[in-house]
Amino acid sequence: MPYHEFDCSKCLPERQKHAVVKGAGDNLTTALPLGYLNTIPGSISERGCAYCGAKHVIGTPMKDVIHMSHGPVGCTYDTWQTKRYISDNNNFQLKYTFATDVREKHIVFGAEAMLKQNIIEAFKACPDIKRMTIYQTCATALIGDDINAVAQEVMDEMPDVDIFVCNSPGFGGPSQSGGHHKINIAWINDKVGTVEPEITSDYVINYVGEYNIQGDQEVMLDYFTRMGIQVLSTFTGNGTYDGLRAMHRAHLNVLECARSAEYICNELRARYGIPRLDIDGFGFEPLAQSLRKIGMFFGIEDRAEAIIAEETARWKPELDWYKERLKGKKVCLWPGGSKLWHWAHAIEEEMGVKVVSVYTKFGHQGDMEKGIARCGEDALAIDDPNELEGLEAMERLKPDVIFTGKRPGEVAKKIGVPYLNAHAYHNGPWKGWEGWVRFARDIYNAIYSPIHQLALVDISKDEIATDRGFLTQRLLSDRTLAEEIRTSTRLREYTGTYDPIAALRKKNPPYFTPMAAAAE
Amino acid sequence: MNCELKPKDRIGTINPIFTCQPCGAQYASIGIEDCIGIVHGGQGCVMFVRLLISQHLKESFEIASSSVHEDGAVFGALDRVEEAVDVLLMRYPNVKVVPIITTCSTEVIGDDVDGVVTKLQDELLSVKYPDREVHLIPIHTPSFVGSMVTGYDVAVRDFVKYFSKKDKPSFKLNLITGWVNPGDVKELKHLLAEMQVDATVLFEIESFDSPLMPDKSAVSHGSTTIQDLVGTADAQGTIALNRYEGGQAAKWLQTRWDVPAIIGPTPIGIRNTDTFLRNVKEMTGKPIPESLVRERGIAIDAITDLAHMFLADKRVAIYGNPDLVIGLAEFCLDLEMKPKLLLLGDENAGYADDPRIAALKENVDYPMEIVTNADLFELEDRIKNGLELDLILGHSKGRFVAIDNNIPMLRVGFPTYDRAGMYRHPVVGYAGATWLAEQMANVIFTDMEYKKNKEWILNVW
Amino acid sequence: MTKITHSVVSDHPFPNDAAAADAALAAWEALDDVTRDRVDVMVDWIMKYCLWQFHSRAWDRTRQNAGILSITATLLCDEPYTPQTPDEKVYWVDAVTLARNYRKICPWLADMSKDEIKSLVTALHARIEYLTVTGSLNEELTDQHY
Repeated sequence: MPYHEFDCSKCLPERQKHAVVKGAGDNLTTALPLGYLNTIPGSISERGCAYCGAKHVIGTPMKDVIHMSHGPVGCTYDTWQTKRYISDNNNFQLKYTFATDVREKHIVFGAEAMLKQNIIEAFKACPDIKRMTIYQTCATALIGDDINAVAQEVMDEMPDVDIFVCNSPGFGGPSQSGGHHKINIAWINDKVGTVEPEITSDYVINYVGEYNIQGDQEVMLDYFTRMGIQVLSTFTGNGTYDGLRAMHRAHLNVLECARSAEYICNELRARYGIPRLDIDGFGFEPLAQSLRKIGMFFGIEDRAEAIIAEETARWKPELDWYKERLKGKKVCLWPGGSKLWHWAHAIEEEMGVKVVSVYTKFGHQGDMEKGIARCGEDALAIDDPNELEGLEAMERLKPDVIFTGKRPGEVAKKIGVPYLNAHAYHNGPWKGWEGWVRFARDIYNAIYSPIHQLALVDISKDEIATDRGFLTQRLLSDRTLAEEIRTSTRLREYTGTYDPIAALRKKNPPYFTPMAAAAE
Repeated sequence: MNCELKPKDRIGTINPIFTCQPCGAQYASIGIEDCIGIVHGGQGCVMFVRLLISQHLKESFEIASSSVHEDGAVFGALDRVEEAVDVLLMRYPNVKVVPIITTCSTEVIGDDVDGVVTKLQDELLSVKYPDREVHLIPIHTPSFVGSMVTGYDVAVRDFVKYFSKKDKPSFKLNLITGWVNPGDVKELKHLLAEMQVDATVLFEIESFDSPLMPDKSAVSHGSTTIQDLVGTADAQGTIALNRYEGGQAAKWLQTRWDVPAIIGPTPIGIRNTDTFLRNVKEMTGKPIPESLVRERGIAIDAITDLAHMFLADKRVAIYGNPDLVIGLAEFCLDLEMKPKLLLLGDENAGYADDPRIAALKENVDYPMEIVTNADLFELEDRIKNGLELDLILGHSKGRFVAIDNNIPMLRVGFPTYDRAGMYRHPVVGYAGATWLAEQMANVIFTDMEYKKNKEWILNVW
Repeated sequence: MTKITHSVVSDHPFPNDAAAADAALAAWEALDDVTRDRVDVMVDWIMKYCLWQFHSRAWDRTRQNAGILSITATLLCDEPYTPQTPDEKVYWVDAVTLARNYRKICPWLADMSKDEIKSLVTALHARIEYLTVTGSLNEELTDQHY
C-alpha cells in the first residue's frame, strides 16, 4: 500500500494509514487511507462536531424555520453566520438563531421547563413562522432532557405549529458526519410522510444534499423548472419544512452531496421505493450528463438537451478562456467532504489544472474512494488532515492554489499560496454552467493576482522591476500563452453579473405545463 | 430616574451577543508565546472558535481539541486529555504553555482536569519530557456559566495565578488590557512609551497584525512570555483597563502579592484616556509628557470639527462587551450624542455595583435603557416598536439589524469580520477617540448620501 | 507512567470478502492482455464519471453493479430493454449513459460480436465488483446499517 508518511506525524503511528499517494497502476484496492475514525486528541485536526453536522450543515439551510439549540448560547452563536447558504425568503435562517440559554441551575435541576418556555417565546417572537427545529447539544444530552416529549407537549397545545427534534450532541461521532447521519434518520422517521403535497407536474423529484451555497440550489432549480420538473423539496438549502415532510411523494431522489444526505435517500428507497440517482452539479460535462439522466428517467431527455445546448453555447467560450490560462496549475483540493469527488476530475478535465492533493476533513472512506477514483496519478490523499500535515504537504507539493476553509486559507496565505473558500465559495454560485465559469474565474484571479506576485518579492535582495507601475492578471497569465490563444476571437472572459441569482428570482415558473393540464 | 438597568424579559436568547466561556479563554491563550491550548470537549468548541477568531483577525493560529467522542462522554474523557498533551508536545517542540480549557460537556461529566494535570506532571512530563519546560494549566470555563467575557477574565486570572512569583521588585507596570484588538495594544504601548513607562502587557497580541513575508516565515502568535507572567508579582502596580476582562487577575495580584491595582476605566474617549494617564502617573510617578498633550490636542481638534455639527443629539444603540459598551457610551455623551440603549450580553452580578453604570443612572437627562442578559432581538424588537436610532455601535453578528432597518452602523468590538481591517485600529487612547469619532461621522455621512437625507450639507464643511 | 494508547481502530472486517477477492484477482490475471486493457478503459470511465458504484454498503454496491452493468450489456448488444419499475428505470438511465459513452471511447466495440461483448461486460462487472466490493479497503462496507 502506497501510504505516505508525514515527517511531522512520524511520532503518531496511528496516522500512518491516513494518507496515500496514488501511484501509477494503483487502484482502490491498493490505495485507500483509513477514514472516519476517532480523531487523535491534540493533533489539531480540522474536524467539527456532530452538533454542527446536524444543525449547522443540514438543519439550518431550511429556510422557514425557527432553529433552536437547546444548550448554552455558545453552540448556536459559534455556528451562526459562518456559512453562505442563502434563501429566497430574505435569508430568515441566516439572520435568526435561537438558544435556550442553559445555565448552571438548569444543569442541576433540569432544563425541560425552560425549554418549553423558550419554544413558546420563540413562536411569539416570530409570529409568521410556524415551524421549528430543536437541536440537542452536549450539555442537554448529558443531563438527559427529553426534548421530544417537550416538543410534543407544545404541539399538542399549539396545533398550528410543528416541531422537529434532532438529538445529535457534539460528541456523537468522530466528526460532523455523525450529525449528518442522525438528522437524516430523525427526519425520515419523524417528519417524512406527515404532509401530502400538491403535485403539479408529471415529473416530481426531491433534490437532496444541496445547501444553496451562494445560490447553487436556485441555479439547479432553474434547470429543473425549465425541464418541467416539480422539485417537491430540497434537502435542505432554500428548502421548506413542509416540502421536506412531503418527500415520500417524489418519483426520484436526485442526490448531490452523498456524504451528508445519502442516508435519507437510502431510506426513501427502502421505505417508499423512490430510486436514488447520484448527480454532479459541478462541471459542464458532469452536469450535462446529470440533467440528461434525469430527463431520460422521465422521458423528457429532449428538454435536457435543449438546456445543455443553450448553456454550453453561452458559456463554453468563457470556460475555455480560463482553461487555456489555468493549464498545468497545481491545486490542493482540500474541502470537507463531497467536493473532493465532485471537483477532482472535472477541474482537471475542464479547467486544465492538476490536482496534486485531495483531502477530506470529516468524510468517510467512501468519499475517499470516489475522490481517489477521480484524481490522477501522484495525487496525495489525506484523511482527517491536521495543521502540520497540511503545511508539510504544501511545502512538498508547492501548489499554485488551494481550495479549503477560511482559517486554513490563512495558513496558506502566509506561505504564499492563494486560497479559495471551498465551503462558502469566493464569488459563487459555482454550480451550473455559469457557476462553473465563475469558479474558473475565481481560480484565475487567485493565481494571477498581481499582489500575490508582489508578495514573493524580497525588496532587500531581489531585483525590483521598474518598467511599469502596475501589473494585471492578463499580463501575468498571457506571458507564455500562444499567439493564437491570446488573440482568439472565440474565447472570452466571464461576462456575467455580480449576482446572477437576483435575475433567476425574477423568473416566473413553471416554464412547462404539466402533461395532464395540457391535455385538458 | 431616566436610566434603567434591567435584564431582558425573555428567558431564551435570539441572536446572542456573546458566545460562551471557552471562547474567552481561547482568545486569552493565543496571546501567550509558545502556548497552545487544549480545549477539553467536543471538537466544535475549538473548530468554530478558531474560525470565529480567524474571521476577526484574518489570521490563523493554533488551538487543540481533546476531541471528546461518545465513549468519553459516557465513561469520562481524561484519557483524551492525557493523549492530547502528549501528542501536542511531541509535534510542537516549542510549546511550553498548555492551558487545558474545559467546556460544558466535560464539566457536566465531572472530569477531574486538575487531577489529571497532577498525574501528567508526575508521570508523562517527568518521564517522557524531563528536560522540557512545560506548564499545564487547568482553566475551568463551563459554557453554562457566565459568558465569553467571564471566560476571558477567568483565563487571565488563572494564567497570572499559575505563573506569578515574587522575586525582586521591578519598576514595571502590569497592563491588563482586557479583550482588545492588535491596534489597541499598539496604541496602549505607544502611550506608555511616551510616558517612559516599562510595562508587561497582558496580552501582547499586536503581532496578530502579522505580515506576509517573502521568505514565507511569518506566523501569527501572541508574544507575552512566561517570564512576563512570572514577573507580574514584582510589578510596582497593575492597571486593568477592563473591570470584567482582567479585573480578577488584578485583584488577585493585589491580594496575593501586594501589587497595587487600579481597575478601569476603559480608556475609550478623551476623558477616560486622561484618567488612564493620570493613573499611570500616579502609579509610576512619571509625568504626562508634552507629546501626549499635543496628541490629545490633535484628537480634540479633529473631534471639535465633528461633535456639535454632526454628532450632537444622534441617538445611538451600543452592544457588546460590557467595558467596551460603557466606555463607548461615556465617550458618546462627551460627543453630545445620546446613547439610548446599551445591551450587555450576560448578567454579571457586578453590573449593579458598577460605578460607571451608577453614574449613568444618576446623571443621564433623557430616557436610556441598559439591558443585561440581552440579545440582538432586544435591539431589533425595540426598533420595530418605535425606538428611533441614528447609529448602532456593535460587532458583526448584529449586522442584519442595521441592514434590515436601514440604520448606519460602525463595527466595533469582537468579532468584526464584515469590515476590513477593524482589528488594526484602536478604539482606546487619543488615537482611538479620533478614529471612533471620525468613523462614526463617516458612516453617518455615507448613510445620508444613500438616503438622500440632507446629503448636500457636506458640500460645505 | 501513563500508558498512552492511541485507540484509533475500526471494528469492521476487511477486505470484505478475502476469498472472493483472491478469486477475482486470479480471474483478472488469467484474462488476456487485450481484454484487460479494454476492461481498464471501461473501468476508468466509470471511475471518472460515475457515482453509482459507490453506494455505502457492500450489498448495495453489488446490487448496483449487477443492475446497471447487466442492462449495459443488453444495450451494447442492441437488444431491446424496457425498464418496468422505478428501480429498473434508474439503472437503465445509468446503463444508457454508459453504453453511449462506451460507443464513443471504445471503437473496438463495433467489431465485436454479441457474445464477445457480453463476455467483455462480464469481465468488466467482475472487475468493478472486485474494485468496489470484494477487494475494497473500505471498512464501512460491511456495516449492517446505513
